[in-house]
Amino acid sequence: MEKVLITGISGGQGRLLTRRLIENFEVCGADRVDWEGHPRGVRIHVVDLRKKKFEDVIRSEQPTSVVHMGFVRHFRSGAQLRHDVNVRGTKQLLDHCVHNGVQNLVVVSSGYVYGAFPENPYYMDEDAPLSASRSYPEIRDLVEVDTLASAFLWRYPHIRTSVIRPVNVLGYYVHSMIGQYLRQRRVPTVMGFDPMMQFIHEEDLADAIALTLENRLQGVFNITGPGEVPLHTAIAETGGKAMPIPEPILKPLFHRLFQLGLIAYPPGALDFLKFPITLSGDRFVDATNFRPLFGLEETLQSVRS
Amino acid sequence: MAITGALAALADLAGGLLPLSTRDLQARIEERLAKIPNQLNEFGFDAYGMSPEWLRRASLPSALLYRYYFRVETFGIDRLPRGRVLVIANHAGQLPFDGAMLATSLLLEAEPPRVARAMGEYWIPRLPWVSVAAARSGALVGTPQNCIRMLENGECVVVFPEGVRGMNKLYSQRYQLQRFGMGFMRLALETATPIVPVAIVGSEEQQPGLVNLASLGRLLGMPALPITPTFPLLGPLGLLPLPVKYRIHFGAPMQFAGDPSDEDSIIDGKVEEVKAEILRLLECGVRERSGVFR
Repeated sequence: MEKVLITGISGGQGRLLTRRLIENFEVCGADRVDWEGHPRGVRIHVVDLRKKKFEDVIRSEQPTSVVHMGFVRHFRSGAQLRHDVNVRGTKQLLDHCVHNGVQNLVVVSSGYVYGAFPENPYYMDEDAPLSASRSYPEIRDLVEVDTLASAFLWRYPHIRTSVIRPVNVLGYYVHSMIGQYLRQRRVPTVMGFDPMMQFIHEEDLADAIALTLENRLQGVFNITGPGEVPLHTAIAETGGKAMPIPEPILKPLFHRLFQLGLIAYPPGALDFLKFPITLSGDRFVDATNFRPLFGLEETLQSVRS
Repeated sequence: MAITGALAALADLAGGLLPLSTRDLQARIEERLAKIPNQLNEFGFDAYGMSPEWLRRASLPSALLYRYYFRVETFGIDRLPRGRVLVIANHAGQLPFDGAMLATSLLLEAEPPRVARAMGEYWIPRLPWVSVAAARSGALVGTPQNCIRMLENGECVVVFPEGVRGMNKLYSQRYQLQRFGMGFMRLALETATPIVPVAIVGSEEQQPGLVNLASLGRLLGMPALPITPTFPLLGPLGLLPLPVKYRIHFGAPMQFAGDPSDEDSIIDGKVEEVKAEILRLLECGVRERSGVFR
């Protein structure tokens, strides 16, 4: 049986992916925290991706395939640590893959890397520029990770590498920022703005990652879910109440609260509540025939289940 | 939701208070909208944020202006082909009432009725409320990708190639077309889309611009700051256009062929043909009208 190593296996998305793959793959994983009650037959290595010990894990496990999604996605521990873990961790992992005979690599990037801008066309394809750092410097590490992985894809064509960029992920297990945002009872929004947003259910994303692996894809792929709705409709559908606040008040407020550590999102995130960032998932669908199982309503409602 | 909800409630309230003729107009809007095929999701939006429900509620003010304020007359709207089409028109009047009236004519008078998919300026999504209203009524940021998508979907795309150059021109420049952007021609060639030239007579006199304090406007974050006899003298009231009579002349469809990536000089030659046709329609319209206000 083919062996796959998952980084970030103890996170919500890692667990869902493990369950999706376990029938057909031998699964092992690396994470900074343990997964208590993990399925039998899955080995969990508690390591830091930046450390030498992680290379030992790859060397001893000798996986054929690697799924890389061990990223720090929150901002609690500061931008520097986040940058270090995500960018340096990815760099190390790519090197280990080259030196240890890994044949397939999937890097789970994010649709946010394109950035939210007023001039964004609808349904951007994978060739659109990655401009997130321009308005949202706090996530420039994600852009760098994506760029590193895309460069790797061209430099080592004998390793089948794919970089996938999913839209907003929602669900019970995944603690995405957008999920936490929508889970609030009262949801602050920018008054006078209501951009279209795309969503995908966490289980559909797990399926898409598995399909990427099973189809031995090579390239960059946007991953989209069942559709798109305006932000305020999404809030209403998830059972929250939108609280529109004028931008001149909201922006400094956000800034202050973030500095004080009272809210989880940096001010740059506000643009994602103002301007649409919609992706075309056609390339991925053409390559895999992927169809999301969860509809828009189910996906939106899953944040409160 | 709260915004559109409040707007919708206001529109409903207005609908309850207005006389019978208005209800007929509302019924007509609904009947016309029902004829327009569109692909909506389970929440009633198309993939670009357009909402027929929002249009149903928000079209009445526009239709009232259309019928009773500007008393719009259209000529040759039956020339509008079915399927994908690029409607290219002159732009004037400081505030885009010409866009609203053209869109209303396409909804109320075209056969079959069409939703105008306007290609808007890049700064429109930055404006609170305006951005939502634009998206819900079918407008998009005028990027080439958006335009191609709309044309491939068989939509009626409206472009004002003069942009703000036209909208904020001075009274002394009325019925003189400003420089046309060339993007629309490349997209028409790429998608083999017929172009319908449209001349809007009336908008050029609705708010006579005396001077344009563009640099002061830019300081305030606006693309222009026109001074008219009533603005800013009368404050917000001064934004009201004069009750000019609108006449919208639709020209015969023009079909162009050629390489969409040709040099500017070649594309410009084709753009000039469209411009000349609009100018001809404008001059005809101005010559034959019975007056600015009647």
